[in-house]
Amino acid sequence: MLELRSLARHFGGVRAVDGLNLTVQDGQIFGLIGPNGSGKSTTVNVIAGLLPPTAGTILFRGEDIGPLPTHRRLRAGIARTFQNIRLFGQLSVWQNLWVAQNSAEDLARRGFFTRWLGGQSGVRDEIARLLEFSGLAHKQNELAANLAFGEQRRLELARALAARPKLLLLDEPAAGMNSEEVGQLRERILSLRGSGVTILLVEHVMELVMGVTDRIAVLNFGQKIAEGTPAEIQAHPAVRKAYLGGEAA
Amino acid sequence: MDDFALGVLTNIGLFSFLALSAYLLLVAGEMSFGQQAFFGIGAYAGGMLTALYGWPLPLAALAAMALGGLAQLLVGLPTLRLRGLTFAMATLAAAEMFRILFELFHWRVERGGELAGPDGTQGFRGIRWIFEHGIEPADYLLLVYALLAAVLALLLWMERSRLGAALRGVGLDPELAASVGIDVRRVKLGVAAAAGALAALGGVLFAHHNTYVEPRNFDIMLGVHSLAYALIGGLGTALGPLLGVALDIGLLESTQYFHGYRMIVFGGLVAVLLVFRPRGLLDERMVTWIRQRFS
Ligand SMILES: Nc1ncnc2c1ncn2[C@@H]1O[C@H](COP(=O)(O)OP(=O)(O)OP(=O)(O)O)[C@@H](O)[C@H]1O
Ligand SMILES: [Mg+2]
Repeated sequence: MLELRSLARHFGGVRAVDGLNLTVQDGQIFGLIGPNGSGKSTTVNVIAGLLPPTAGTILFRGEDIGPLPTHRRLRAGIARTFQNIRLFGQLSVWQNLWVAQNSAEDLARRGFFTRWLGGQSGVRDEIARLLEFSGLAHKQNELAANLAFGEQRRLELARALAARPKLLLLDEPAAGMNSEEVGQLRERILSLRGSGVTILLVEHVMELVMGVTDRIAVLNFGQKIAEGTPAEIQAHPAVRKAYLGGEAA
Repeated sequence: MDDFALGVLTNIGLFSFLALSAYLLLVAGEMSFGQQAFFGIGAYAGGMLTALYGWPLPLAALAAMALGGLAQLLVGLPTLRLRGLTFAMATLAAAEMFRILFELFHWRVERGGELAGPDGTQGFRGIRWIFEHGIEPADYLLLVYALLAAVLALLLWMERSRLGAALRGVGLDPELAASVGIDVRRVKLGVAAAAGALAALGGVLFAHHNTYVEPRNFDIMLGVHSLAYALIGGLGTALGPLLGVALDIGLLESTQYFHGYRMIVFGGLVAVLLVFRPRGLLDERMVTWIRQRFS
């Protein structure tokens, strides 16, 4: 599904991502963890096309997507959420989902004018389903800026799903959530398993990562220091060292 | 209705086209200090087509709109990016360039035994199509408002479509818009063309209302005003800029009360609003609130 080959992204002298090799198989939920500033968000931004890589290749379903601009990567099937929630605050919840329906399927199914100028009737059911999934049906006419924090996180996930992604990039979706909300998020992520979507999950909340992922890679200073199943990662000495600052090694 | 009131009302209508064109760009996240240039292009092109070449006004207006749209598209092509002030600077530069070009523009042809047409800084006289066709000022007022209503209806309809939501999204956060699959550059270029055409339509109507235009009509203050109209009135609905125009021309310019202090009051109003209501009086929040009240 996704293969990163010697991917690098530098900011001046900072090597945020530094020669990263990573392969995510179809249908996997793949965890990407690492200490603060280890390059996780930068990796996500480079895959999604918000930042050009300094070096390296990104293969998505076997094709080099390097030349594709951001909006085309979405249409190719890569959707994402942001670590710092990003929504169109002055649009309603409903509209936030509506404008995000830009998948290749949607493009093929509806003509240009129907898609952009046609009414809401053809998309009602699908948006209702997304609202139901994220528990936001009662807030559909609210401006996104007026939602509570947890609701905004749920809307972001629903918005990513509105693009019918093949690959979903989640950048710390549990940040700032209480344990009940983390539990709900975990259920939502698990319910996506088997629906054909592959997930790259960046997360600090270990309870979530260890519970849902098939495989985990650990970054430190932009480089991969370990990869394996959740159990292997938990037992890995280099990981404990990176996280605990050396004392536990 | 007396001539003064008629004149004020017609002016409100005419400058509304300009304000709407600035508004469209603002909604898409781009600030233009140069909409007066496309207003001017519309005025000159439309005036020349009717006065020098005998075109009917509707046809001349369409041609002028196409020209205005094209001109703004050309300014936008190299300068409309995901972010930045490039476009704002380019519109400002283009507008000043066009004003100077109008000053250098001499295109005199013989019409009915006399020379007519743009004459540089002397301006362009005798754009008399509406008088030659027996259209009274009051009828012209109706015509201007009918066109304005049509444009407004079109814009309000567009704003309720997915395109309208996407356009707003592009303006609010272009990076996010690209991340959800919107081709930001294409949207912005489309908006630029529409804004240029809309400004040009206002210009054609302006030229035929006044029968006379000169390069000075299209100076930077006109552009700054149209931008301010949109910012005062609000970016939540296409009705916003009309409110801005009505407030300025209707209240400040026409009532003698603020006479002489108009620019001070106007400038103060803009400054206060930018601080307290950065997206204007009728911003998205206000529009949502009103919609929830009345539905
Ligand atoms: N736009 C930028 N300009 C300059 N430096 C940046 C930029 N974005 C990230 N960096 C730097 O790159 C490094 C990696 O940052 P990144 O945000 O990818 O880390 P992260 O693993 O997501 O951390 P966190 O867990 O805190 O979210 C950091 O040192 C950061 O300061
Ligand atoms: Mg991060």
